[in-house]
Amino acid sequence: MESTFNIKEFLQALRKRLPLIIIVTLLFVALSGIVSYTMMKPIYEASTQILVNQRVTNPLQASEQLNIDANLQLVETYNIIIKSPAILTEVIEELELKESVSDLNENISVSSAENSQILTVEVEDVSMERAVLIANTTASVFQAKIKSLMNVDNVNILAPAIVPVDPDPVKPDPMFNMAIGAIIGFMLGTGLAILLDQMNTTIRKEEDIEEIVGLQVLGIVSTVPEVKEFKRSANINDKKELIADVDTEKIKAVSNPKIGGSY
Amino acid sequence: MWTQKKSKRSATRKLVGRTKPQSLVTEQYRTIRTNINFSLPSDDTQTILFTSASKEEGKSTTSCNMAIVYAESGKRVLLVDADMRRPTLHHSFQLSNKIGLSNLLLKKGRLQDTVKRSGVVGLDLLLCGQIPSNPAELLSSPALDTLLEEMKARYDLIIIDSPPLLAVTDSKILANKCDGTVLVVNTGKTEKDSVKKARDALVTSKAFILGVVMNNYQLTKDNYYYHNYSN
Repeated sequence: MESTFNIKEFLQALRKRLPLIIIVTLLFVALSGIVSYTMMKPIYEASTQILVNQRVTNPLQASEQLNIDANLQLVETYNIIIKSPAILTEVIEELELKESVSDLNENISVSSAENSQILTVEVEDVSMERAVLIANTTASVFQAKIKSLMNVDNVNILAPAIVPVDPDPVKPDPMFNMAIGAIIGFMLGTGLAILLDQMNTTIRKEEDIEEIVGLQVLGIVSTVPEVKEFKRSANINDKKELIADVDTEKIKAVSNPKIGGSY
Repeated sequence: MWTQKKSKRSATRKLVGRTKPQSLVTEQYRTIRTNINFSLPSDDTQTILFTSASKEEGKSTTSCNMAIVYAESGKRVLLVDADMRRPTLHHSFQLSNKIGLSNLLLKKGRLQDTVKRSGVVGLDLLLCGQIPSNPAELLSSPALDTLLEEMKARYDLIIIDSPPLLAVTDSKILANKCDGTVLVVNTGKTEKDSVKKARDALVTSKAFILGVVMNNYQLTKDNYYYHNYSN
C-alpha cells in the first residue's frame, strides 16, 4: 500500500523491535554454541610433510629451471595419486580401517606450498591417534608405491605426524560457529522485525489517520501511567450517592446486563 | 475470570482531568478541547458524541476527561452514558447505576432528579440506569429528541459516551442526532480498516465528524513538541 520506502521509518521500526532482534541473535549464538560444544564430535588433524624430488632421468634435459617446472607439474600428479584408491586401499588394509576408500578420501587433503616440491598430507579424524596413524601410513605407502607407479625413488618424509601432548580439535570451532550463528540470528531477527512491521495494519501515526481515513486529528492522548490508588477529590457534593461501602460485586450485579446486553 | 479483571480495571478508570489537573495528559485533553471548539460550526449549545470503531479503545475515558476539562473552562456540562450495553460511567465516578438515561427514555422521572453531581464543579452526570433489553429502539424513539432538547435548555454542553460503532447500531442513531462526533482510536491497536468502516458508518448516518482522538499514543523523543511545556 505504501509506495515510498522511508529509511527513517524503517530504522525506527527496527529500533522498536531491537529487543526481538537481540533475543533472536543471542538465541542463535547460544544454539550454535550448544551444538558445537555438546553435539558435534571433535575432529583432530594430523599432517605429514613429504619431499618429492624427481631424479633427472635424461641428462640432456634442459636447464635446472625447467627441471623444477617439470617437478612442480609432477607435484600435482602426486596430489591425485595419494588420494587414489591405489594408495588408500593399501592404507585401509594396513591399518584395518572400517572406512571405505571414498570416506577416507574425504578426510585426507593434500596440498603443496607454492613453488615447492613439498607435499603436505592432512588427515582429519575423530581421534588424534588415528589421524596420526593414517597420515604416517599414507606417507609411507606413497613412498613405497610411487617407485613402481612412476619410477621415482627420491621421496622423503620430512616431518612425520606426531601425537601432541594436548591435542586441540580443529573442528568444530565454537567461536566461528557462534559468529556464524550471530550473523544468521541478526539477519533473521531483522527480517522478522520487518515482517512484523509490514503485517501491522493498525493505526500508529497521526499521518495514518489523515492519509488513510481522511479525517483530521483533534489531538493525541499519551498512555496514562497506572494510578494505583484512586484519590477522591475533596469537593464531592453528592456524598449520598457514594457507594464506598458497597463492594464491587454489587456494582457488577447492578451493571451486569441481563438481556441483550453484550456486544 | 477475564471479565472480572476487566470490571476491576474499569472501576478505577483514570479520571486524570480530576486527579492530576497539571499533568501532561490533562493538557492533551485541553488541546483536544481547543481543537473541538475551532471545529464546531457555532457557539450554541452543543451535543458531542464520543464513539469508536470497536470496544475498549478509550471512549469512556476520553469522554469523562473531556467533560472534566470542559467543565473546567466554565461551561455547564452534562456527561451522558448512552452505552446501554456496557455502561461504565458509574464505575468511573463510583456512583450507583439505579436510575439514569433508560428511565428517562421510558418516561420515568424528570431530568433534574435523575442527573447526579460529579464532584467536579459544573459537571453533571446522567448515568445509564437499568440496562434495557432494547437499547437501539429506545434511542431511536422520539423520547430521545425531547430529552436532548431539555438537556440543551439546561446545559451549555452535552457530552455523550456511546457503544462501539461497528458492533451495534446505537452510535449511528446517536451520531445522527448530535452536533458533532469524535472518533476515538486506540493507537497501535485499532486496525486501519475498522477506522475506515467506522468513518463510512458515520458518513451514512449523516453525522458531522469533528475528527479523531488518538488514544494510548506512545510518545517518543521525536514528539518533543507535545511534551510538557512548563517543565
